Amino acid sequence: MIRFRRLIQTFCLVLFLLLLTLASISGISMVNLDLFLQMDPILVLISAISAKVVLLSFIPAAIILLSGPFIGRVFCGYICPMGTTLDVTDALFRFKNTPYLFSKNLLKIKYLVLIFLLGSALFGVSYVFFASPLSLITRFYGLIIFPVMSFLTMAVLDIIRPLGDMLDINSISFAQIRTIRFATQFFILFFFVIIFSMVIFSSRFWCRYLCPSGALLAFVSRSPIIRRQVSDLCNQCGKCARKCPMSAIDKEIPEKTFYSECIVCRTCEDICPEKAVTFELSEKNDTITYETFSPKRRALVSTGIIGAGTAIMSLTGLNSLYGKPGEGQVGAKGLVRPPGAVLETDFLSRCVRCGECMVACPTNTLQPVWFVAGLPALFSPAVTPRRGFCDPKCHECGKVCPTNAIRPIEKSDRIWAKTGTANIIRQKCLAWEFEKSCMVCDEVCPYDAIEFLKEKDNKVPVPHVIENKCAGCGYCEHFCPVQNQAAIKVTPMDALRINQGKYEPEARLKGFKLQFKKPGQKTNPLESYPAIQQDSAPGFDKE
Amino acid sequence: MNRKLNRRDFIKLQAKNGLFLAASASGLFLPQLSLALSTPDIGVVKGEAVAATKAAVDLIGGIKSIVKKGHRVLLKPNMSFTRSPEEASNTNPDVVKTIAIMCKEAGASNIMILDHTLAPGNACVQISGIGPACREIDNNMVHAINNPSFFKQVNISNAKSLTKTDVVKEALKADVLIAVPVAKSHSATGVSLSMKGMMGLIYDRTIMHRMDLNETLVDLVSFLKADLTIIDGTRVLSTGGPGGPGKVIKKDTIIASKDMVAADAYAVSAFEWYGKKFKPTQVKHIRLAHERGLGRADIENLSIKTITI
Repeated sequence: MIRFRRLIQTFCLVLFLLLLTLASISGISMVNLDLFLQMDPILVLISAISAKVVLLSFIPAAIILLSGPFIGRVFCGYICPMGTTLDVTDALFRFKNTPYLFSKNLLKIKYLVLIFLLGSALFGVSYVFFASPLSLITRFYGLIIFPVMSFLTMAVLDIIRPLGDMLDINSISFAQIRTIRFATQFFILFFFVIIFSMVIFSSRFWCRYLCPSGALLAFVSRSPIIRRQVSDLCNQCGKCARKCPMSAIDKEIPEKTFYSECIVCRTCEDICPEKAVTFELSEKNDTITYETFSPKRRALVSTGIIGAGTAIMSLTGLNSLYGKPGEGQVGAKGLVRPPGAVLETDFLSRCVRCGECMVACPTNTLQPVWFVAGLPALFSPAVTPRRGFCDPKCHECGKVCPTNAIRPIEKSDRIWAKTGTANIIRQKCLAWEFEKSCMVCDEVCPYDAIEFLKEKDNKVPVPHVIENKCAGCGYCEHFCPVQNQAAIKVTPMDALRINQGKYEPEARLKGFKLQFKKPGQKTNPLESYPAIQQDSAPGFDKE
Repeated sequence: MNRKLNRRDFIKLQAKNGLFLAASASGLFLPQLSLALSTPDIGVVKGEAVAATKAAVDLIGGIKSIVKKGHRVLLKPNMSFTRSPEEASNTNPDVVKTIAIMCKEAGASNIMILDHTLAPGNACVQISGIGPACREIDNNMVHAINNPSFFKQVNISNAKSLTKTDVVKEALKADVLIAVPVAKSHSATGVSLSMKGMMGLIYDRTIMHRMDLNETLVDLVSFLKADLTIIDGTRVLSTGGPGGPGKVIKKDTIIASKDMVAADAYAVSAFEWYGKKFKPTQVKHIRLAHERGLGRADIENLSIKTITI
């Protein structure tokens, strides 16, 4: 049976990684790339409560949860990529035989984690990203392993490239892949180092004691219909209890199973010397072994209050006033959200920080933020133009977002989803400050939002941003030749953040004229500005 | 030069000039002169892209006068933008393909078509049409070179400001460098032709903007000097360059020369820019290149042969 389970686990992990890889390739829209995220019960529950929306795409999670009373925590044992990853790392990092750890108190923690998340979700603050197994593991593979793979592939290419050069194999000489880099990766890694190192106490420490999805599934799997049965052949040798990865078997009475902890791995069935263990439809006589370890009501209530209190603390932080005009327009400085991001408060309660959008982003502009916008915004995505522009024809991030924190936008509407506005920092600008004829921002602007004018006392024409033509895509900031901070910078000013409806009418109402450069439409400095006309044409000297 | 001449220097100078004159008269420089009589410095052909490209190269001595059997050839077209051939921000794929075929027929052992693109590489290769067009000759010919590991640092001797830069390794290996730019305007340098196009073979271009763009450009060209320049004037991006969109004028013209500066200079004078006519010397980098002796911008003194097919 172990072999069968390993097979299913491998299949699920490979499928999970395949979907994540597909998410990183632009233009895939046929497949349900978020399947695994949608299966995570806690992610679904907390997002639905905190954002106060019920999303149809969460049917997979409902199925998983409803399967509990029938087949127990099969999800944990077979499907969950976090569980499979922990099985692998447990095997890798284990020093000697895993000690037998059974603690009723530890088992209660996961319920408290669940209650904490519920408590804060009731106030609209989602901290599910700290504890949802699928959010965590997607972030781990997407934001840590994906860049590492990109780095290693590049390193291998660099090694074999001289060979290609020597033998004139151009496919090797010029092979290249995207460079993927992410901010905050050490903080993400830190969490996983802790989780992985817990193997010194027990295998699957996370699944046993901490996972809130595990708690939900444990709650519905207290006595599943198909479950572990022990026949009279049992001689109470206790081998099964020692080998159980979840310590779900009583050490003293091996016939006794704690079903809420059992992940149906069926190791006990395989290793039993007497062949006394089976997994089949329940019989009457084993219900006596039914036992759960829910925390005391007082502990639950106080944890709920702590969760609510944390939510209230978050809601009383300075950043919570973001987007509330009457409160002085505070908010994280320069934090540009991806196109299609809903209103900031809703965005934060919906976003589960899985990192799918950042994996999908073809220009690597979407980066996780650290504390710039406070604890509730940890690891949320931000457009980082210096790293990459936000292509106004692309909306890969909206396609993969599991919770519609980034709404999918129709192709025709995409150009209107303004994310911010560019500003010129004249003191850094090559044309304004150094009087060099640089027009890179105008060259690269897809919207024709930059015009070059002749100013008094300046030898060269200088750039101006036409604000209502600028969509904040960041092409200018990305390509600005000024080093480090660019001389033109996108800020979230005038970003269109709407929770429903189309962007175009909203943008038109605000007077935005967002359209791509077209021949004849381009602000031709020569035609529009007589001052430049005297100067012949851009880039030419006077006769 | 403000230095005053003393008598001794004056006499020296006169003697040198005299010697030069005598040498010219006696025919010391004759081989070059006689060559000029048969093959023009600049060949200009008006007509359909493929035929015109072939004819223009033939006018200036044929591809075999440059590409020998076994040569490695590097073609540098413009394909930096995700724009279709009709928008004239990138070189006409037919022109690029024709030259690649000619090089192959001349016996080139390896032909590479490279550009460091501004927009995402694969998209440029595809949308410019250059990738699909040349795939018929060889599937691995066209590449966007956007990765630092394709480049190698070189020192540019005699440079005035850009003393070193990272050049694509293939440029160092190639026996023949052929510039195949589209004729287009450029907001900062007036025009973007064969010389400006050489910025597509280096890694860090931002430094050139921070320094003097025209000066560094001439420094770069002193290192990356094309053996053959074929300017694609089938469509001319007369305004809005380099990225476009702008006014595209259909000129059905191919300009070929072994002198980059001359080819660029001719293209400046042959087409209209922003609705006006300009002299080659009004483009600073062409003027500087001429002054530094990298080529000749005084096209009025060059032999130009124009035909229509």
